[in-house]
Parts: sequence; C-alpha cells; structure tokens
Amino acid sequence: MLIAFIVLVALIGPFLAPYAPNDQSAMIEFASRGGPTWAHPFGTDRNGYDVLTRVIYGAPTALAVGLGAMLVASLTGILIGGVAGYLGGIADEILMRLTDLFLVIPVFVMILAVVRLFGIVVVGTWLERVPFLNLATIVLLLGFFGWPPIARLSRAEFLRLKGLDFVEAARCIGAQPSDILLRHILPNAMPSLAVVIALGIGGAILAESMISFLGFGDPKAVSWGQLLFFNYQVLKVAPWAVLAPGTAIFITVLGFNLLADGLSDAFNPRLKQ
Amino acid sequence: MGILRFLLRRLLFAVVLILGVSAIIFFLLNAIGNPIDVMMADNPGITDEALAAVKAYYHLDASVGYRYLIWLGNMAQLDFGTSISTNMPVGGMLLTWGAETLKLQIPAILLALLLSIGFATIAAMRQYSRTDFTVMSAALLGHSLPGFLLGVLLILIFAYWLGVFPSYGAYSTRNPLFGSTLADGLWHMVLPLTMLTVFNTATLTLLLRGNLVDVLRQDFIMAARASGLPERRVVFHHALRNAIIPVLTYLGILFGLMLATAPVTESVFTWPGAGALYLAAIQALDYPVIMGETMVVTVMLVGFTLLTDLAYVVIDPRIRLN
Repeated sequence: MLIAFIVLVALIGPFLAPYAPNDQSAMIEFASRGGPTWAHPFGTDRNGYDVLTRVIYGAPTALAVGLGAMLVASLTGILIGGVAGYLGGIADEILMRLTDLFLVIPVFVMILAVVRLFGIVVVGTWLERVPFLNLATIVLLLGFFGWPPIARLSRAEFLRLKGLDFVEAARCIGAQPSDILLRHILPNAMPSLAVVIALGIGGAILAESMISFLGFGDPKAVSWGQLLFFNYQVLKVAPWAVLAPGTAIFITVLGFNLLADGLSDAFNPRLKQ
Repeated sequence: MGILRFLLRRLLFAVVLILGVSAIIFFLLNAIGNPIDVMMADNPGITDEALAAVKAYYHLDASVGYRYLIWLGNMAQLDFGTSISTNMPVGGMLLTWGAETLKLQIPAILLALLLSIGFATIAAMRQYSRTDFTVMSAALLGHSLPGFLLGVLLILIFAYWLGVFPSYGAYSTRNPLFGSTLADGLWHMVLPLTMLTVFNTATLTLLLRGNLVDVLRQDFIMAARASGLPERRVVFHHALRNAIIPVLTYLGILFGLMLATAPVTESVFTWPGAGALYLAAIQALDYPVIMGETMVVTVMLVGFTLLTDLAYVVIDPRIRLN
C-alpha cells in the first residue's frame, strides 16, 4: 500500500505539484522559511522552495536510487552466487571468499570518500557534463558494494535447487547448462531473493538520504536527503522543511520493510498450512 | 588441539580479509587520482618546484604498488602517519575522537540488549496477545524509523520546544551544567544515547522475539514445563539462553560497526567523535586520516566477527569446529 502510494506520487506527482521544483519565488516575496499556509501546504524552506513540491519531486529520485542500486547489486549477486552454488568446488570456494571480503568493506564511509574525491577529479573533464553524475556514482557504488548478501543467498538457493528432481530431469532431456540456470533454477530461487531485494531497495534509499544529509549528495538532484541537508541548520525556525522529507523517507523505508515481510510470509510454505 | 587449530585458521583468514580490504581501499582511493593532484585541483597555486618536493617527500612520485607497500608497512607498525590539516599524529587523533564515539555507542548497545530481552520476553510469553502486538508494532516502527530522523525529532522536541536537553556537542563550551563536568557530560549524552538505543532495541527485539517464539515451541521446553519448573525459570533459564545465541551475530555486527555508523549520529548531534573527524577529514582531503580511520573501521568489523565466531564455539556445544 505504502509503496503503491510512493510509486503513484513519483509517477503523477510532477503533474500535481503546485510549483516548479526550481521555483524560488518565495525568496523574492520575503517568504522563505515560511510556515504552512494554503499556498504552501508544507511551508517553504530556507532557499525559498515550496517544500511539498520538493518532496514530491524527491519520490522519483528515491525510487531511481533504490531500484538502480539493487539492479546492479542483484545482477552481480545472483551471477556470483548462482555460479558458485551451481558449479561448487574450487569456483565456489574462490567466489565465496571474495564475497566474505566484500562483506567487510566499510561501504558507507568508503562511499563518502569516493564521492568527494571523484567530485573534484571530474571538474573540467567531459564527465562533468553527465547529468546527475554524483547521484549515478552513489547508485553504482551502493550496487557495487551491496551484492554480497544476495550472492550468499543465491548460492544457498542454487545449491539446494540443483539437487532436486526437476533439475535432474531437465538435465536428462539435454537442456543446456545456461538454460537450466536461467529457466529452471533462477525462477525457483526468486521468491526468497525477492525478500532480500525488497529490503535492499529500502536500504539503498536510506543510504542515499544519509549520504545526501551529510552533504555528499548530488546538488543538482532533488532528493529527500538533500532537503534535510539544506534545512537542518534552520530546524529551529522551519521544522516543517525537515519533517516533511523525513516523513517521506520513513514512509518509504517502512513500506519496503513491510513489503519484504509480506513477501516472506507469502512464500513461506509453513505458514500456509 | 581442535579449538586451537580452529582459532589459528580463523585468525589467519581474518588477517587475509584485512589485507584484502586494505588493498581495495588503497587502490580505489588512488585510482580516482593521485592524492597530490586531487588536492591541487581543489587548491591550486603552488610552484612546480614545491610540488615536486612535496611529491618526493611523500613518495607520491612512486608507483601505486610501491606506495601501497610502504603504507601497509607503516600500518602494520601502527604508524598511521601525520594529519595534513592538523599536523598531529593520526593514531592519537583517532584515539581521542574515537573515545567520544565509543562513550555513546557501547552504553547504547548494552542498554538495548537489556531492554530488548525484557520486551521480547514479555511479547513471546504472551504470543498473539494485545501486548505482543503492541510491542511488535512498536519494534517494527522503531526499526523502520531511520536513526538520524529520530535524532532530529528528539532535538526538536526535547531541545528546542521543551528546552530540557542541549541540542549539540558533548560538553558545554563555557559553564558546565549543574556546576559539574561529569553531570554536564552525562546530560549531553541523553539525546544521542536515546536515539541509538531506540533503534538498536527495536531491531534486537524483533530478532529475539522471533527466536524465543520458535524455542518455546520445542520439546525440551515442554519437558522443562512438565517437570514442574515455574514458568519464569523455564523462560529465562532454558528458553532465553537458546534464543539469544542467533542474536550474537547481530550484536557482533553492531559492535563492529560502532565507528562506521558514527558519521550520521555525530552530524545530527554535532558530537565531537570519530564520525565527525572522518567527515572533516574528507572535506579537508586529509588522506592519512581517511585511510587510517577506514582501516580501523575494517579491523573492528573483522575483529568482532571473529569474536562472534569464537563466542559461538564456546557457548554452543552443538557447533562443530569444522
């Protein structure tokens, strides 16, 4: 439900938003940091933006971050975990030790450093003209470092499924290994993977909002974390500008946690009896 | 013999992990650009001769692999180098600032453990009752409410609106509250400690309650009940002991990530800890501090994972050493 709401806001929000996302007109009218009124239901922030509009435009950003990061993470994780589980032996050993290694990398602190350094290096190169470069960097890094849990689960699932009769049967009728992996094992591993991926989407959205809150986000993107970052210093005089994006983050993360919970209940055969 | 070999193998693997992560960190940060070039881009205006001298002094003209080996050698001798922005030894800085972080994190984890044992036991003993439902809903909400947002709420309510607690810092700048430095420090800890404890308690309660409910259904609990033991003894002595074992892993992660999660907490409360130090170091492009702290975070994570594994072997006789 909550997720449907967020997706809906992300899709049609831009048409409903009362102001343009870059409209700072409240600044001119000496109405920045203004409290909620009929014209600005969630008030205006210290830059003179309409908070409701910025929160609405933050929804597609959040979803893009969550889905993008988990797309990278799932593809890598399923590939590595699946191959390790299916092949076994020395390949399994090597890939799983690699997973152990990536599992102990201090991801969050690394991303902060990489984003900052990268932001300096790109100045003056063609990369600077790539739209939302910072945001894309964060998404890629979250995905690149976020795959180990998915790899571990994929390995366990592939290991379990490859011994089952229907896989044996597929092999007997001469199916290609790639066919067995993609068309027979993967669909059956999906239910448990979906739970972890749903949790991961919420986690990635939260991580991006924290990175932005710390001031390492994409200044060109409209994101909830950015709103927090810009307005945290005026929390005392304009709490609405912090509370509104904060609530949006909370609802979204809660939504994905509940989705994961629901998925794991729905796929758990023990609960169906 | 068995446990000693297990210990040795685990220790060896931990060292390999730390080496691996150190290589990834070093080469990733250096792949972005030679530190001197990055700092130059941010702050130009240095003569070529001075640049060459600085490069030679810091071995920055050498190859990345060579520089990694030098750095690794220094790290192994616990020589973290000298901070570029403060000109003080990084090791000492990490100790001073890290102590402020641990002062919050360790009590928060221990407090959360105690509270969650209480909540989870109450909920699990009355499974599917209204109490259970209330505790679990609160825990799920607390688990989903990002810690830093809770911090913002706490500051808004208790510091700005009610004016009870200070909104930032670990100590008062001029006159200590209540006329004592100790009371002043403790008073400053209340809000950040609450924020950390609430989040940890919620997550631990969710985990523990699930485990307890599973354990309470098992045969040995029925046997304990059948033998006429009071329910309290059954729950605390027999069930809880078994339910808490899987929670150890999460506790290990919490302890291991104490420094890694600090930047957010400390930026909400302007707390002078390791997280704030790290953020300042990134802003100032203070490479020795960035690298040093990242390594300390990694060693802590690997170290506590190792401790968790050992704890399992000591506590749970069912776990075979292989």
